[in-house]
Formats: sequence, C-alpha cells, structure tokens
Amino acid sequence: MSPLSSLAIEHDLTELWKETKPAREGEPGLQRVYTTNMVAYAEDHETGYRVERALMDLTQFHPGRYILIRPAMDGTEAPLRYYVSGYCPFWTQQREHRVCCDIIKLVAQKDTIENLYGFTFSLLVPDLPVELWWPGDLPMKNKFFANMAEESNRVWIDSSKFKHPEESLARLASVWPKRFPNTVLGDMNWIRIQRWRALIAELFDGAWSRHLSQIKQVTIEYGEGSHPLRGFMLALWMADKLNWKYEGPRVRAVPEKLRFESRSGPVEVILKAVPVQDAKRDRIFAIGILTGGDTPGFFTLVRDENPHVVIARAEVDHHEAFSRAVTFDHLHSNQVLAEGLKRLEPDKTWDAALQLAGSIFEKPVSF
Amino acid sequence: MTTAELLVNPLREGLSANRVPAPCSLVIYGASGDLTSRKLVPALFNLYRKHLLPTSFSLIGVSRSPISDDQFKQRLKEMLKQEDPELTDSLWNSFSQNFHYLAGAYDDPKAYQSLSILLDQKDQNNGTAGNRVFYLSTPPNVFEDIISNLGTSGLAKEAKGYSRIVIEKPFGHDLDSAKELNQKVQEVFKEHQIYRIDHYLGKETVQNLLVMRFANSIFEPIWNRENVDHVQITAAEELGVGSRAGYYESSGVLRDMFQNHLFQVMCMVGMEPPVAFEANAIRDEKLKILQSIRPFTPETVSQFAVRGQYGPGFLAGQKVPGYREEKDVKPQSTTPTYAALKVFLDTWRWHGVPFLLRSAKRLPKRSTEVAIQFKEPPNLLFKDNVSHLSPNVLVIRIQPDEGMTLKFETKVPGMTTEARTVNMDFRYGTSFAEDAPEAYERLLLDCMLGDATLFIRGDEAEAAWKALMPVITHWETTQPETSFPNYEAGSWGPAEADKLLEKPWRQWRRL
Repeated sequence: MSPLSSLAIEHDLTELWKETKPAREGEPGLQRVYTTNMVAYAEDHETGYRVERALMDLTQFHPGRYILIRPAMDGTEAPLRYYVSGYCPFWTQQREHRVCCDIIKLVAQKDTIENLYGFTFSLLVPDLPVELWWPGDLPMKNKFFANMAEESNRVWIDSSKFKHPEESLARLASVWPKRFPNTVLGDMNWIRIQRWRALIAELFDGAWSRHLSQIKQVTIEYGEGSHPLRGFMLALWMADKLNWKYEGPRVRAVPEKLRFESRSGPVEVILKAVPVQDAKRDRIFAIGILTGGDTPGFFTLVRDENPHVVIARAEVDHHEAFSRAVTFDHLHSNQVLAEGLKRLEPDKTWDAALQLAGSIFEKPVSF
Repeated sequence: MTTAELLVNPLREGLSANRVPAPCSLVIYGASGDLTSRKLVPALFNLYRKHLLPTSFSLIGVSRSPISDDQFKQRLKEMLKQEDPELTDSLWNSFSQNFHYLAGAYDDPKAYQSLSILLDQKDQNNGTAGNRVFYLSTPPNVFEDIISNLGTSGLAKEAKGYSRIVIEKPFGHDLDSAKELNQKVQEVFKEHQIYRIDHYLGKETVQNLLVMRFANSIFEPIWNRENVDHVQITAAEELGVGSRAGYYESSGVLRDMFQNHLFQVMCMVGMEPPVAFEANAIRDEKLKILQSIRPFTPETVSQFAVRGQYGPGFLAGQKVPGYREEKDVKPQSTTPTYAALKVFLDTWRWHGVPFLLRSAKRLPKRSTEVAIQFKEPPNLLFKDNVSHLSPNVLVIRIQPDEGMTLKFETKVPGMTTEARTVNMDFRYGTSFAEDAPEAYERLLLDCMLGDATLFIRGDEAEAAWKALMPVITHWETTQPETSFPNYEAGSWGPAEADKLLEKPWRQWRRL
C-alpha cells in the first residue's frame, strides 16, 4: 500500500486504469467519465456493504467519482486505509468506448473520520457537483458531517431509515435551513412516493381539476406493521399544493387522522393500516379521494394484483367517469438515488412538505 | 387559450413529469402506413412508459384499408414487439385500451361524420375534453382533401378544447405549392393550430445547438465573421434510394434534405439570440436567417452549387448498384442524389462567411454534423518548429454518436516547441447514461402541449422554398455540368464540389 495522500490514491487509480486498457489494438477503449462526486458514509459494516452495492449500481446511471467512508471495525487497525476499484458499467452508443469510473473506499478509525473532511475534499473531482449520502439519522454536531454538508451541493437522507422519523423531521425542518442554507436536502423516501404523487395528479388532469377545490376526505391505506410516514408525507404534499391549513394540535407521532381546512371547508385525511401480503414492496396500497360540491366524486387509486399496475378510477355524481389501468414502476432502492441525481435543483415540493411536517410535529427539545 | 388549457392542475407543479399534456385524442391519417407503425406508435409508447402521455388519451387511426379495431391494434402490437421484445400483454393492453380504427376514403364527408361521433364519444366516456390533434401521415396529394373535410365537418373548430393539425414533410413541392398548401390549411386552421413537422428539429443535438449557443457565454463572442472562417453542415447517408424511388425521382436531394433539415440546422447555427425561449420568438429569428440567404440566380447557380448522382460502387466491401439501376428509377434520370451549396447569409454577423451545406446518398458513412471552422491565428509565433497550424474546429455531431468536439493545437511533450492537433471531446453517450428521446417522442409531446417551438411556421417554409427554387429550377431545366453518374457509391461525392471551397486552406471534412 502506498503512503497515504490523495496523490497516492490518484496514482493507484491511474495504474489501475493502465492495467485494464484493452489487450489488443482495435478493441473498444476505456473512457473515464466523471459527471458527479458522491461521498457516502456508512456507520457499520453491514450498511457499508449495502451502500457499496448501491454505489456500484449508481455508476450505471451516473458515472462519477464515488467515495465510501466507513469506520474501522477493529480499534487496532491502521488509522486510515483505502481501496480503489474501477467500474465500466456501460458502452457508448456506437460501442466505441466503455464508460468507466471509480469507487474509493476509505476505512478509518472513528477519531480519524472526525477530521477526514479535508482529505475527502482533496479526492473530489473539481468543478463537479458534490453529493453527500448519509443513511440513517443525521449527526448535526458531528464535525465530519457538518464540514462535509457545508461543502456539498446536496445531502441525501432516507427519512424511512430514521430511528425516530417524527422527531428527526421536526429537527430538520427547524435546523437545516439555518444551519446549512446553501446545501440542498434530498430525501430518498420522497422519491419513493413520487410515482404516487404523479398518479394522484393524473386523476385531476384537464376537466377533473375542478374537483380539487372540493376535496373533503383523503384516505391512504398502507401496509400494516409499517410506519405511516409515506402516506403522511403524501398528505402533506397535497395540503401544500392545494393550500390546506392544518387545524389540529402539534403531535408527537403521525396520527391516524389529520384535519385541514380548505377554502371550501374541512378536509379529513385518514391514514389507515391494512393487512397486506407484500408489505416490503411498497407501503402504500390504495388512495381514495372524496369530493363534494354539486357533482360529488370519488377518485381512487388501487394497486392491482399485478404489482406493476394501479387501477385509477373516478366516479362522479354516482356514475363511473373513468377507469384505467396505469403502470406502476417500483423503484428498487438503488434506483431511488439514481432518480434523485437526475436533477440538481432543490425539490421545492419536498422543502414545503418538510416545513409543514415541522409545523405539525412537536418542536424538538434540543438540537 | 381554450377552456381546457385554463384548467390548471396545481398537483402537477414540481413533479418530475410535469410536462404532461391535458387529456386529448390523436387522430392519425395514414394509420396503416409505415410512419405510424415504425415511428409514431413507438414514440407514443415511449411517452406512455415515461408517464408523459395524457391520462385520458385515445388514438384513432384513419386509413383506406378496411380493417377492424383489433386488426389495427394487432398490427401495431406486432411492430412494437419487434422493437421491444419484452413488451408484455398487460402493458400493451393498458397502453392500447383506447385505440380505435376508422376505415374511409379521405374525400368522403361521411368518414368525417363518423370520426366526429367517435371523438365526441371519447370526450364523453374517456374525458378527452374536446382536445384533438390531427396528424397527416399520408402522401401529400391527399392533404388538401383531409384539411378541407376537417373544416367542413367542424372538426377544426376549437369549441370545447383545442384542435391542432400536424403536417408531415414535404410541405409543398416548390414555392407555389407550398404557398397554396399554406393558404388551404390557413383557410381552415389558424396558424397557432398548425404544426409543420421536421423531425430534425426533434433531435436532441439540434436542440442542443440553442442551449450550447445561448446557455454558455464562451461561444457567442466568437460566433461571427471576425472569428469564423466558414461553417460546414453535412448530412451524409449511407443508404441508397431503396424503396423510395417513386418519391425521390420527383424530389431529389434538394427537396428531400435541404429545404427542410439542412436549412433548419443552418438557422439554428446562424440565428441571433431570440428575445425569449418561446415559439414565435425563435421562429422570427430563424425566418430572418432564411430571408438573409443571398439569392441564387441562374448565372450563379453553377458557381455556388454542385450536383451529383451516385453510380455503382462498394459500401463496406459490398457491391451496390448505381442510382439509375435502382428499382423504379428512370435509366436516364438526372435526379441529383448529391448536392453541395455555398450559402452566404447577408447579415451583419455572417457577412462573407460561407455556409457549406452538403447532403447525399451512398456516401461511405451515415453522419450528420455541423462544423464551425475558426480562422487561423494571425501570427505564427512558433515558426521555428511549426510550419502550419490547423485551425480550431468546433464540431457538433447530430447523429450518430451525438456530442461535440473541439479541435485545438497543443504542445507535443519534449524539449522543442512543436504543436499537434488534439481533440477535446464530449459525448452524450458517456456523460448521460439515459438515452435521448426519439425525435418523434419530443415532437408529439410538444404538439399535445401546444408548444410549437420545434415546428416550422408557414412563412419559414415559404422562405426556405423561395431561397432554394432558383437552384431547383436551374437544375431541372439544364443538363448536369458533368454527366451523371459522377460519383461512385461509397465515395465522398463528386470532385467538382471542391470548387465551392474557394480558399486553399478549406477542405470538405472527412466524417
């Protein structure tokens, strides 16, 4: 192993790519391509394995410089070790080149990690966006995290992996904009429900949009035994887009019922746990939206037996208005980040939903 | 603005797929033709998979062939399956649940009544909200019948929702017929309802010309006569005339490629920055470029234009016939399969800069690109070791291998100051793992959204014809300067094209 410096790592990478150049003339060449930087932190070995797999998959969608950092398992190990590996996940269209990029793994003692941000910065490819992926709860006071978050363009969290989602979301809503005003926050859990958001929006395209102002009740069914967070965030998204005001008290946990006030009157949101067989696949199973006014309607989205199909249906004035089967693409966990990395701009809908969550949950006691 | 467009859905705001059109029906005339099954339906299917088709969407195919709904769907499904072997029945059924077929003659008013009834039913049962797109994918000789019948049947009126018409190329056969077609279509539809399609404008790299020019500050200051020596725009085809001889014999390369594709690309390269990224602002600027083309005259055609026709030759080691030996081609045909034009744009920015346009069939490879060749440095500083510097060239590859290359000089490592040309390369395929959408996907979506930015306005079509007519007329009324065929299939075209280069340092690019 070379003495530790970013130059040593770059040198090893260069050697790695020299070794893997085509054996014969005329064979397709390798082209190193970097379109983004991503730094991921894994707090234990198991998470490290999962995150590393995810990074390998991400290279297929976004060739870039990937850096995985995890604490050493054994306190007697060297303060900092590194491993480099190269990936050539796809060909150019004319099969002239294989597109390649690399993953650098840093394994360090915990106290070394605290001060590892400068070293990590030195490994980033200049002039490209920096994404920081932090699975689990965010340690706002941690020096490494704080420095990395400040210098990153975006920090990725997964609110479904928070130990105490309500408390963590309330804290993020309150602290993040002040503490990291220049760093975008992205939530993988928000991307998981983006297809549901699109499906709900589709129900009200064109002439059906006039029913939006008449919504009286929204029922979101989720798999029994799972946390209702996705359904809750979906309801907050609707509330924000449709200008509903939250009418209930501050709560410590996601309640079964939420009360809002729209321009046309009260709106009730019911989060209902239902027994299901495939709770692991996706945790929302059906959505029903009841509207009032002169021509009351009932708009539903129900998952079909075919996991890739959802039935969208509307009944207006007691007559079926439409019924259609629409495709539902389940994003595998590794596709979630790939989807998120497509856009660099902050997702204002998520920011708004987070702020709304912050106004519903009890304020965090300390930061 | 129609009622349907005013019904805004606030839930769409901020969604990744927020460019989803309002519910509508798409009526394709010429539905049993190749374009429908090979391009339009696959494009619609891709939009569907990307969740970009309207939720309430119906497709109605109209054609003369007496086939049933099921036969129509089956035919489309089989074609789609060839493209995408993983197409499942459930996906197809879900996609095609509102596909219908109507058989009828294009000049039969009853067929339009039946269509009107079916469209009303779809509005009623499917929520398509009175929004209609009529796509003319038929031979041009029936355009007028369809347009006038759409008018008399009331289908062109924007009563409940919008009514739009998409007209495939060729838009006219010459200036007079283009004017006549414009007049006919404008008698029935207003200009904002008319979408004249040129699929080149749907290509990602052609659109990138605008982004590259106007989203970067480094190019615009040098994008002018002070810095640019000349511009080459090439659309090279490897294929021969194939089964299109019937059409090609009466059109030739100028009508087939120059009046639309090449002139449109030239407009994107040459236009001034528009005041807004909005359909008419962009089309106004493109029109100015077409209007600024220095007129060809019978006296100058031979000086500024070169024609050619391929003879037998070899492509990839295979012997291929000459144009005159192709099926349905006249043995003494003088139809040009190669053309090169030297175009001058009489504008402040481009005065004196030749735009060298070239397109042909049976060239060694298929490639479309724009090359901006910059002027040589004014002073050769390194003359002890360097006798000649290659000029900088910015190449924008439109197809295949979409991307950009900047050619520049750099020092060769060593103790002497030698220079060598190197390339700085950007390829879409390496930086974006996601495939670019097909041109028809983008254009169909834009039409449903009412965005005409990538479509040609009536005055643009006429201006393009006006600029080209002197060359077409001259070539159709005179014998070629060198007897046809004058280039071998598999070569880079006739040697006479070199005379357009004018200066010793210019040469046609080998693609």
